[in-house]
Amino acid sequence: MVKPEEARALLRDYTYALDAGRLSEWPMFFSEKGLYRITTRQNLEQGYPLSIMLCDNRNMLYDRVEATEKANIYEPHYYRHILSDSQPMESKDGALCARTSFICVRTMLDGSTILFTSGEYLDEVVREQGVVRFRSKTVVLDQSRIDTLIAIPL
Amino acid sequence: MKQATPIWSEEGATHTPYAVYSDPQIYELEQRSIFRGPTWHFLGLEQQIPEAGSFVLAQVGDTPVILVRDEAGEVHGLVNRCAHKGTPLVFVPSGKLARQRLMCIYHNWMYDLRGNLKSVAFEKGVGGKGGMPPEFRKEDHSLTRLRLHRICGLVFGTFHPDTPPFEDYIGAEHVANIRRVCGKPIEVLGTYSQLLHSNWKLYMENVKDPYHASILHAFNGLMKQDRLTMEGGIQMGTGGWHHISYSRMTVDSGDELYKTAPTLRSSELSAYGEGLRDPSFTDVWDDHGDRVSLTVQTVFPCFVLQQLRNCLAMRAVVPKGPRQTELRWIAFGYQDDDERRRELRLKQANMMGPAGLISMEDGMVGALIQRSIEADGDKSSVMILGGRGLEPIPGSRASEGSVRGFWTGYRHLTGL
Repeated sequence: MVKPEEARALLRDYTYALDAGRLSEWPMFFSEKGLYRITTRQNLEQGYPLSIMLCDNRNMLYDRVEATEKANIYEPHYYRHILSDSQPMESKDGALCARTSFICVRTMLDGSTILFTSGEYLDEVVREQGVVRFRSKTVVLDQSRIDTLIAIPL
Repeated sequence: MKQATPIWSEEGATHTPYAVYSDPQIYELEQRSIFRGPTWHFLGLEQQIPEAGSFVLAQVGDTPVILVRDEAGEVHGLVNRCAHKGTPLVFVPSGKLARQRLMCIYHNWMYDLRGNLKSVAFEKGVGGKGGMPPEFRKEDHSLTRLRLHRICGLVFGTFHPDTPPFEDYIGAEHVANIRRVCGKPIEVLGTYSQLLHSNWKLYMENVKDPYHASILHAFNGLMKQDRLTMEGGIQMGTGGWHHISYSRMTVDSGDELYKTAPTLRSSELSAYGEGLRDPSFTDVWDDHGDRVSLTVQTVFPCFVLQQLRNCLAMRAVVPKGPRQTELRWIAFGYQDDDERRRELRLKQANMMGPAGLISMEDGMVGALIQRSIEADGDKSSVMILGGRGLEPIPGSRASEGSVRGFWTGYRHLTGL
């Protein structure tokens, strides 16, 4: 069983990797059949299944990384994630489940900074071959309206 | 209406003065002559308002509109503004009204779902004192109603008495494509929107421009989805104001051409090497039995219907002042989708929206342009790919004719 402090360390390393721009590390934070999705609070509340981003295995995560790094064109920018304490939720199939609030600040290279998004992570964390990883990570944005685009995962 | 001073230097639509993207007076003119003018605007889907009292909010330019279903099942489009003081009657994006009435929170003026004023608080005063004057007639204070047209669950509205019937407005081929994409019962999969830091017309030009698709969106090359070398074409609709860009899935002879002619290709091909690691994303099927794998349709001025393989969506483009635009998306599938198709549609939705693998650039490129043209309102773009006219080139999308069509409608309505 995963300990809460191990899940917390995973979350810490995950957001530092994104904020440092080490996107190539992103897929390995997930188990091979890991699920990553970004959705909005309004879609969840209305029972709509749509995601803003949806990957349901590690290969899809790698495809997204490759698209972001090699195909998609966007103005370069930095993220800065700030996390709250995590709240444990009922464990599921051997996974440790927790929710964590976040805000993400986005800074463009011209120096302009905005509060880009806020929301919560709904995480399921498992141990696989001794390594702690996300089996599932759902990013629920408070906002239904996104400023311009989301190129880099949250 | 005051006659606008023309700012185009010549007839036609081969160039656009940059002033139209930032001048606040031109923005006001557009609100009157286009958004309140003889044009049709997408307001929402009947599926979003299934029951009596269900409503969803919409925008026609700057004007807020409620789309609501009444007790008899009829749908109404009403300006969302109490006749008394201008208070919005509804201020959440969607929901269901209590007691089948639109009640103003401020002074309890109350309207039925057809927009008729039914009662006002203290109409007779209190204890025989005060109240409305004797000549006050509730029927003089109804909500402003839009004329509606319903097609396949899509509801369009117009303010202007002279707007042609919807089917004449867009043309038979365009009606046929709406029926093709939305002809069986649809299921809303979700919604979201993007705030774009550009004028609304920069986004509409982008949608109508097949020239950029395989260049700006390198991911398209990987999907082998929207190269100009694919079999496809453009249909212009009535007056050339609207457009449909389409391509077919099985007849892409593009590989050879793209490899031998570097000017035709984008950064796409070499970037990927071996292509996608996960093939399920490209697991597609022929939804409409016609091999047409992509259609992007616009209804002038601000509506987009999209079919990217099995990724289906409507987009409503809402101006937010001269320099900002909200792009509202509704993703949908069909009610008869089985579980697998529904899941694959949700996966293909990775192509669209703010994080869309082939749409994120569209949200950004307008903002880049907006910043670079601000200083030179008297200078112009140039759009002569495929000639100067509107006539589509049979079997070809290497043309900006559809963008010229947009400006033809724009100039006709604004007089600019």
